[in-house]
Amino acid sequence: MKRRLKTLEALKGWSLSGGYLLYTAIFWGYPFVWLIVLAMSKWNFLTPRRFIWFDNFIKLFQDELFWRVFINTFNFMLYFIPMVIGLSLLFALGLKRVKLFRTFFILAFLVANVSSGVAYSIIFQKLFAINGPLNDLTRAIFGVTIPWFSSPQLATLSIAMMVTWKFIGYYGLIIFSGLQAIPDTLYEAAEIDGAGRWTKFFRITVPLLNPSIVMVLVLSLTLTFGIFTEPFLITGGGPMRTTYTFQMLIYTTAFQKINPGYASSLAIVVALLSFGCVILTRKLVEREVELA
Amino acid sequence: MRKFWTVTLYVVLFIASVLWIYPYIWMVVASFKPANEIYGQFLPSRFTLEHYRFILEAADQMDRSFMLALGNSIFISVIVTAGVLVTSALVGFSLSRLAFKGRNLIFNFIIFQMIFPGFMFIVPLYVLIRNLGLIDTRTAVILPSLVSAWGVFMFTQSFRAVPNEYLEAAKMDGANDIWIIRKVLVPLTSSTASIVGLFTFIGIWDNFMWPLIVVRDYTKMPLSVLLASFNMQYGSYLGPVLAGSVLQTMPMVVIFLILRKYFLQGISMSLK
Repeated sequence: MKRRLKTLEALKGWSLSGGYLLYTAIFWGYPFVWLIVLAMSKWNFLTPRRFIWFDNFIKLFQDELFWRVFINTFNFMLYFIPMVIGLSLLFALGLKRVKLFRTFFILAFLVANVSSGVAYSIIFQKLFAINGPLNDLTRAIFGVTIPWFSSPQLATLSIAMMVTWKFIGYYGLIIFSGLQAIPDTLYEAAEIDGAGRWTKFFRITVPLLNPSIVMVLVLSLTLTFGIFTEPFLITGGGPMRTTYTFQMLIYTTAFQKINPGYASSLAIVVALLSFGCVILTRKLVEREVELA
Repeated sequence: MRKFWTVTLYVVLFIASVLWIYPYIWMVVASFKPANEIYGQFLPSRFTLEHYRFILEAADQMDRSFMLALGNSIFISVIVTAGVLVTSALVGFSLSRLAFKGRNLIFNFIIFQMIFPGFMFIVPLYVLIRNLGLIDTRTAVILPSLVSAWGVFMFTQSFRAVPNEYLEAAKMDGANDIWIIRKVLVPLTSSTASIVGLFTFIGIWDNFMWPLIVVRDYTKMPLSVLLASFNMQYGSYLGPVLAGSVLQTMPMVVIFLILRKYFLQGISMSLK
């Protein structure tokens, strides 16, 4: 009897997770295999596919546009990562200090995070437009018009600012919950030993926040490699291709230049780059933290 | 001195909060302004519903039916969210509460799956959807998102934490598995269900690149793609574009505000 129940349980278990495995085989495993096959093929979706081994990859590293986008991506990081980490940290430290209205501040910043990618791109496009409200303001006060999305360097910065606007609430809260986990007794003990404000910050807060900061770093790095909607809708990759991103390159290569093989090899390289950045960051920044 | 800094901190946070909500406020207010006042003054001379009337009626004649798109978005998002919740709960149940060979292997595989970013699969998944003859259908948007590794992971983790006594008691009363999941496990882990539901809904509602690729038919498009295409072609119709943006944003914001408690829990859970 007991044995039969056990078999029945195993049967149920297998049929439920078997269903999951079947679905995954079709919508994850099959595309995964095809990704690799396509990356080594020349194809236009219609005529018979031709196997060309690593030609796509070789072509990729000689492709001027690939390197343009490569530089764009790191240029974007240079603006985005310090800005988003710095401001999220400030936001979290500010939150820690206030008692009243805390929920209000959190919601105000988080609501930006649930904004629709399409809608907020459109809104920022209009707000930052040459004749838009922001330029009206700067013209009235300083008498200057700022070409937010039409000057090459500024366009990258503007998109970095938009994405920062969207993610500060989320990242700030991750750091905030890291701050909450630091026991007050540590600060009290340090005060008894005569530690000042900055000593406490750099010797206690920063080291103990390491896991949250690494988490935010990893999230923002992965995000950087996935940006599509904002430049696609606002700048179309311009001016002078400075806001062209890897996702846009994959999209246009596969569906406008009808070259899915090349796009697949690109997707693999981008994923590897993204993994590489994450692993490197973890190696450089991550520290063991022990909270006894 | 200390008091001075506290007051300054509050003032800074208040200003920053207003600044952070400002794009929303501007969007909503501007969508009710007469067209010639959208740029220029913040408060209009009068409020008007003409832009909303435009996207409800006139946009249909431009081949861009916002109402149809809104319907598509709701249809797709509700089905995907329900699908993810049901499948995640069932598979999560099997991986946490049923003993069978290979269980841990499957669970580890699910974690392994989550390493790979979604963009890797876009091109081959398009080939698959095309071979299935699903291009230009809502099914093409729904099908690849119907089951989520992350959802299964979340449900498995939280079902594991439920003490065995609850399940034993239910079994004694002759409860079957479905009853146990619905009346014992899910209620005890309601925050997980809310988090998975909320993030899935927001993710699919806001999904842009995938429906852009697989749906070119204006009558099958979700709102995100239709709004983008309307903005690209008729960007000078500023009022209707903003009204459409309000339409696209509001469901997400409302659901976020209703489930905000779980969103916060979700953030602290993602740390573990």
